[in-house]
Amino acid sequence: MDIRAMLTVILVMAPFGGAILCIVLGSSKAIRSAIVLATGAVLIVSALMLAPLVPFRLSAATFLGVDLHRIIQVADVALLLIILYYGFKHRQLTVIVLAALQLGLTIYLEGFLVKGPLPVERIFCDHLSLMMVLIISIVGSIICFQAIPYMENHEHHYHVMRSRQPRFFFVMLLFLGGMNGLVLFDDLVFMYFFFEMTTLCSFLLIGHDRTTIATRNALRALWMNSVGGAAFILGIIAAYHETGSLGLQKILTPWLAGSGVYLLALALLCLAAFVKAAQFPFQSWLLGAMVAPTPVSALLHSSTMVKVGVYMALRLAPGFTGTLLSQSVAVFGAFSFLAGAALAVGQSNGKKVLAYSTISNLGLIFACTGLNTAESMIAAMLLLAFHAVVKAMLFLSVGAIEQHIESRDIEDMRGLYAVMPLTALITVSGVIMMIMPPFGVLLSKWMAMEAAAQNLYVIVMVALGSALTVIYWARWAGTLMSDPFAGRFRPEHQPALTWLALGPLCIGSALLSVGAPWLYLRMIAPMMMGPYSPAYAFKAGGLENAYGTFAILPLSVVATLGLVVAAVALKRAFRAKIVSPYLSGLQTGEPSMFRGPMNQSVKAEAKNYYLDTIFGEARLTDWVNLGGGILLTLILGGAL
Amino acid sequence: MTETAVLILCGLIAGPVVGGLVSGLDRILTARMQSRIGPPLLQPFFDVVKLLAKEPLVVNVWQAFCAYCYIAAASIALVLFFLQSDLLLIFFVQAVGAVFLVVGALSSTSPYSQIGAHRELLQILSYEPLLVLVVVGFYLETGSFKLTDIYAWPHPMLLKLPFLFIVLGYALTIKLRKSPFDLSTCHHAHQELVKGLLTDYSGPFLALTEIGHWFEVVLMLGVCTLFWATSWIGMAVLLAVTYFLEVLVDNVTSRMNWRWMLSYVWGVGLTLSLVNLIWLHQG
Repeated sequence: MDIRAMLTVILVMAPFGGAILCIVLGSSKAIRSAIVLATGAVLIVSALMLAPLVPFRLSAATFLGVDLHRIIQVADVALLLIILYYGFKHRQLTVIVLAALQLGLTIYLEGFLVKGPLPVERIFCDHLSLMMVLIISIVGSIICFQAIPYMENHEHHYHVMRSRQPRFFFVMLLFLGGMNGLVLFDDLVFMYFFFEMTTLCSFLLIGHDRTTIATRNALRALWMNSVGGAAFILGIIAAYHETGSLGLQKILTPWLAGSGVYLLALALLCLAAFVKAAQFPFQSWLLGAMVAPTPVSALLHSSTMVKVGVYMALRLAPGFTGTLLSQSVAVFGAFSFLAGAALAVGQSNGKKVLAYSTISNLGLIFACTGLNTAESMIAAMLLLAFHAVVKAMLFLSVGAIEQHIESRDIEDMRGLYAVMPLTALITVSGVIMMIMPPFGVLLSKWMAMEAAAQNLYVIVMVALGSALTVIYWARWAGTLMSDPFAGRFRPEHQPALTWLALGPLCIGSALLSVGAPWLYLRMIAPMMMGPYSPAYAFKAGGLENAYGTFAILPLSVVATLGLVVAAVALKRAFRAKIVSPYLSGLQTGEPSMFRGPMNQSVKAEAKNYYLDTIFGEARLTDWVNLGGGILLTLILGGAL
Repeated sequence: MTETAVLILCGLIAGPVVGGLVSGLDRILTARMQSRIGPPLLQPFFDVVKLLAKEPLVVNVWQAFCAYCYIAAASIALVLFFLQSDLLLIFFVQAVGAVFLVVGALSSTSPYSQIGAHRELLQILSYEPLLVLVVVGFYLETGSFKLTDIYAWPHPMLLKLPFLFIVLGYALTIKLRKSPFDLSTCHHAHQELVKGLLTDYSGPFLALTEIGHWFEVVLMLGVCTLFWATSWIGMAVLLAVTYFLEVLVDNVTSRMNWRWMLSYVWGVGLTLSLVNLIWLHQG
């Protein structure tokens, strides 16, 4: 068997195998952990082995002797029936209607529309797929590793009688397999199957705790993503109607661009992508997903689920270069970037800040996709990779913090450095990596801004959103480092697997940032074909094009020097005299206390600005949904 | 190679020296407007040297870290400017310094520092989009973000970007900590917030923030020179007029609150930028 075929099978099937083992043998903690660790290890190794082999196309006609298309057909119908079952179980009319609609459309497509033998060259793995596989397999596995101690604590905390962890890890691993399937297959029907699978998995994971609110939010995620699923299958039908093909690469051949139905098909697929990526007005499912255990949020936000959306948009982009559809996607994305950042400013709930920041960053990726130039596509792909790693790290840190202080409110994290020095430091480095040069997220934002400068709508919104982004991150970092003074640095106690997840993510994302030029040369430049050309030259350790230059390596060296100097200053500051904060000269001996009226001790307190009257959810959500809705109409209508 | 080294050295020296002199001139000019004589020109240097010699006192050790990060970022930004790098990149690097200054203030629990830090964040929120749009204006005119290309442009930029120059003026006023935008901290006595953002920085660390500020002032004035980069006289006149107006505005306006700042600066600034950008885009 061809090694590429073998790796593809492993990447998709190994998680399924691991998932089933979790259900069958997973009642003992040791065995379950071993299965999860082994599956993760297999995924990481296979993904790394795949790296030198791309790009390739493979035919996939049969699996274990059965026609593969038939398997997917059956599985697809089964999946929709399961969703229908959950719809009936929870008496959720929207879910029932949407699932029935999708079922009908699937049967129509498979039974009546698709005729004749289908081409079997179904596996397509280029550098974009590879990048996704690497993110899913490495970051996703690391999140699963951290979930092992987390879920143990979680069930302990909630006094769960009969452990539901086998089911939890079953779904987590299934999710990874489904994601790998989605990015490795080129056949739209296969993609649709895996797309629906991620919908179902996220439903099961969000509802994992079975509280009323968890079930309600899970159902919301289910129906919203079913809207995406319905748009997806409609898109497939329209695309097949127009091109007579189910292979995405074939469909995207540029000679078709301009035809109305064809663009409508792409617009519908984009709509499916927006729902998955929780863009406005579909953001509420991702915010509701917060009730799930934190590893689930980490998985949904960084390496899976929402990344399906941006992956699809990046895939489809060559199909709509130079159309109104492309432009409206750019404006829509920029709007999401701005609105997400604005809403994040108004939040004091740490996980919500992270969620809005995800929506906002994905919006920027969509904006870049819509701008559809070589520069902007490069920015989009870099942002995709860097965001996945840094966001995973931030979510896992917040998960660790939450289990320790039993709150996810930023105000409660005041002075966290005194309690959990190492986790606080990792969180702060995550924040720094989100907003500061020379780190990768900012590098991609720089590229995005330079690529967007020609488009006034986009650049204005990106400029405003970028300033808002700085606010909510800086505020959070400062709060973590706030007094009381901690004395000597002693790392707190955490399970080994937590450090094993946070450490590599932190160091990895820093190294990845320094290695950004090579990441570009190795992973992205080969992708720049067709309407795109490799836009940046590697010069003096940085990336440069005709109108901009970002000296990554020199800047990294200088930044490291600055960091060393600052760290030495920090070390010396431990020897400096520690004084109490200024309280108009009325401080008593105790921290933050001052002598108030009647000689009473009063505690001086200040809270962060959240600017609720301007950026609060109550104030903005309706308007933002309206804006998102209008722009979506523009996208769908503009396609026609 | 030698040229690069010389430019780096120039940046590192020009920051504190020119920045300190500008600060001294500013104090004399302000004094004259208030019918005082004012301190000697070199007074800012004496002040900083005195602060540097003081015993280091910290509220929280992270303050020291943040003060060093601030001055590092501010000096790197200015050096990048001297090396004629990418304007947007320089902007991002200076933003690093601004953020660290805020984080350092937030690391103290004193309400003065905390509120000062949040006001500083709102100031950043006000001027950042405007600076980006000014940079975009340069790009639309010259087709490049690189300073080498912008300085090589044969026509004075002010003639094509007049509104963006006014917009830069707003950002400059905020950056220079001048009234009516000196909400977080300023060089005059602050009645309601003590020294705001800088309340709990003291001794050598306060000196570092002051030197970092000089670097930033020189950088911002450098950006101003881009508007008349074709002749030295043009640059000098433009700078003199701009700075004089800054001091004048500082002395004739009173401090406003952040709501007014945000709505006013975004309202007027964005409108002016848009008008100018559309002009460039269509022209």
